[in-house]
Amino acid sequence: MANLWQKLTYHRGNGWWNLPHTASQEPDPPFEGPIGGAWLSNIWRTITHGGVSHAGPGFYWLVGLFLGVITLLEVWLFTLKGLGGLYIPILLGLSALKFVGVVAFFMHLRFDGRLFTYIFTASMGIGIGMFTLVLLLQQFGNQVR
Amino acid sequence: MWTFLGSDVMFFGAFIATYLVYRGRSLNGPYPSEILNIPVTSVSTFVLLMSSLAMVLGLYYLREGQKNKATLWILVVVLLGTVFMGFQFVEFREFAHEGLTPRTNIFGTTFFILTGIHGAHVTIGVIWMAFLAYSSHRGKLRADNSLDLEIAGLYWHFVDIVWIVIFTVIYLISANDGPPPGAELLHG
Repeated sequence: MANLWQKLTYHRGNGWWNLPHTASQEPDPPFEGPIGGAWLSNIWRTITHGGVSHAGPGFYWLVGLFLGVITLLEVWLFTLKGLGGLYIPILLGLSALKFVGVVAFFMHLRFDGRLFTYIFTASMGIGIGMFTLVLLLQQFGNQVR
Repeated sequence: MWTFLGSDVMFFGAFIATYLVYRGRSLNGPYPSEILNIPVTSVSTFVLLMSSLAMVLGLYYLREGQKNKATLWILVVVLLGTVFMGFQFVEFREFAHEGLTPRTNIFGTTFFILTGIHGAHVTIGVIWMAFLAYSSHRGKLRADNSLDLEIAGLYWHFVDIVWIVIFTVIYLISANDGPPPGAELLHG
């Protein structure tokens, strides 16, 4: 089981999701994927790389399509009336997917230095933590008094 | 820019938290369930998402040295941003016509402040992008100084992700909010 996990997720100690920034970081054999063989890895290379350190236009169109489809899905869920208590968690999950898609790929955080990731996620963490606290105080503050 | 965006996260977070704290507490209408137009706002959300796509394509072609394509995609960002602002203007005017202003109730106050500040960010972004499109057209914005466009792009994408949260929290989640329990007693 552990071997299968290694094969699916790692190549020589590097995660498959670690897109190479330079030619020297490319896996050997180049662009070999964990599944699907060379043809699939070539497609992946074409849509993600574009010959520059950032992703190529094909990959950006894919991300744009993904964001559009999720927005459509959200609106479709809004028209459904039988989701009950699942409605808000599902919408928040879909919203988080769009958020991460834009930040990671359009804002290039996925391809940028880790310091930027730390700065942004730390701000997010502080912000979300503070506002959760405010909401909890609002919810339970009266009971304490 | 990342540090500024980090501070802006908290800035918008404060307004979103304020909206959530006062959500469903308006004692008089119009309430969200009576006034929010989800289909129209969905279209404007899609427009803003696609402007982010245009932004990354503009940056890509600028780095590739393809000046005309870069200018075109930056102009698409300006166009889509302007269309989004148009949607917001029409929505605000419609709400005012229906009797919802920032002074009508707590929903109006929190809604207009949050979406208004976001709209101000979009307006600044549109003006910024228009200048960059002009610079690209004149050849002053090139691959070697593409960082200028990348920084503007970070700002633009940030405006987009803030709207992703606003669309979910204010529009989709709150769209069925009516008067709070007991509000009818106040009105006899």
